[in-house]
Amino acid sequence: MSDSTVTIVFAGRRLACRPGLSVAAALWEHGVKVLSHSHKFGRPRGLACVRGQCMSCLLRIDGVPNVRACHTTVREGLVVERQDTGAIYAPLLHMTLDAGGHLLPVGFYFKWFTRPAPLRRAFLGALRPMTGVGKLPDGPAAARAAVPPARDLGRLATVVIGAGAAGLDAALAAPGDVLLCDDLPAPGGPRRAALARVAESGDDILAALPRLARLHDRLDAAARAVAAEDRIELRAGTRVVGAYQPDMLLLKDSDGLLLLRAGRIVWAGGAWDRCGGFENDDLPGLIGPRALYRLAAVQGLRLAGTRAAVCGHGPDLWLSAALLHAAGARPTLFLDADAEADGEALATAQRLGWPLHTNLAPERASARDGALAQLACAGAGGRVRVPAELAVICTRAKPAHDVPYQLGADLALDPDRGGFVPRDPDPSGSPLAVVGEAAGLAPEDLCGEVVS
Amino acid sequence: MSKRILCRCEDVTRDEFGKAFAEGFTELESLKRYTGVSTGFCQGKGCLVEAALELAALRGVPPGEIRLTNIRPPIEPVSFAELAGLEPPPLLGALEDADGEDAP
Repeated sequence: MSDSTVTIVFAGRRLACRPGLSVAAALWEHGVKVLSHSHKFGRPRGLACVRGQCMSCLLRIDGVPNVRACHTTVREGLVVERQDTGAIYAPLLHMTLDAGGHLLPVGFYFKWFTRPAPLRRAFLGALRPMTGVGKLPDGPAAARAAVPPARDLGRLATVVIGAGAAGLDAALAAPGDVLLCDDLPAPGGPRRAALARVAESGDDILAALPRLARLHDRLDAAARAVAAEDRIELRAGTRVVGAYQPDMLLLKDSDGLLLLRAGRIVWAGGAWDRCGGFENDDLPGLIGPRALYRLAAVQGLRLAGTRAAVCGHGPDLWLSAALLHAAGARPTLFLDADAEADGEALATAQRLGWPLHTNLAPERASARDGALAQLACAGAGGRVRVPAELAVICTRAKPAHDVPYQLGADLALDPDRGGFVPRDPDPSGSPLAVVGEAAGLAPEDLCGEVVS
Repeated sequence: MSKRILCRCEDVTRDEFGKAFAEGFTELESLKRYTGVSTGFCQGKGCLVEAALELAALRGVPPGEIRLTNIRPPIEPVSFAELAGLEPPPLLGALEDADGEDAP
């Protein structure tokens, strides 16, 4: 390829990487998908959420332990290492637990050998090296202590967290000054990035998928409207670290911590991918659509020749397939319901040469070298097995409930809306309002027109 | 070996969760303490909803009856050095406001 590259050192190997990729994406392009192992069964772990929240991509980077590889950009000379335990007996013990762990009592590690004390100390001493992650950082603490002081933004009128469809609408609808924060570099959420990459790719995929084309126009229009409003300040690359009742937020950007209070906090934090419910659903290579958008659209991961399965339903299934296609992968679609509802989309799948199966859902994933190699789907449509290095599972996502919980929202578990959602999304007397997918809206609900 | 993992950080299988329930741990809060579900690096972002749904099925009650466990800040990793740079400490400030007093 003609692009300039940067070289990182991974496990002693020098790897040429495309600039701008995260460490995890760069390793993926070099075929490295297993980044760590779980501490009890030793199961392979790799990229999962790509949102910086699942912590299954932790690596030792430039001597610092537990760094998220999905959120660290490659730089020349970066030294990257796996941080699996190092205890020489760990692999054997992992294998034993993996094969026979189901025969042991739940929580055997705190039930066994509790007395006498020396036996307990020896037992825990042997187990701890397996469960630990990483070793202390290299070098003296003083060398790492140059932390910029936190900034206090004072008291603001309205803060909107999340600049996806719902967050953009909320910022436009709010009266007065608005601070709009998002962890991505550009507004519109991961879907807008995905739609933009699909639109650039040619093949006229969006023209053939009118629902996605509408979403594309709607997100572009909302992002433009927000940019045109002087009263709305967009803070990209800003993440929520904590929320304190009743009205305080602790944020973080590349310059450090930010503290603020707000008269009104609108949580538009979206939803977490739900990628599971079947056997071996934790294998590296199985991700949700939001993770795919961040990997292949925001970060620009290339997937040339990758065999991919896309399972589930709804706009995210079609957007995932379109993005995979744009990134060079070969998607096979597994619709979990009857597909008759969307004839145009079916015609598109046919035209683009995407094999399509209906009434099938993932049943079992299997691995080669620790990462996904094959996906078996089953259901009323029979049983189909396909080779796949990547599978995108597009089922009902889980509303992000952590920030509303910390701000005191009254949450209830509602499977029809994906998880814990506020009983009242905008209660009177509370500074907090919850909107969009975080409030339990389905992605289908976001494909309509701009509110303002 | 093939498994159905409920909590990926703490390696808790759906079978183990069910066994713990059969041992008499019938609240999400006690199941969390006993099995380790949701106590790992992701602090439940991956598994808490799945665990709550599984528990509703095990108990045979409507999902709405299952209460969420505590979720405390920070939501994502932050170094002590960064927190030490906060002036005044945010929780202290919040407590003083609740008392109607000014910060010292």
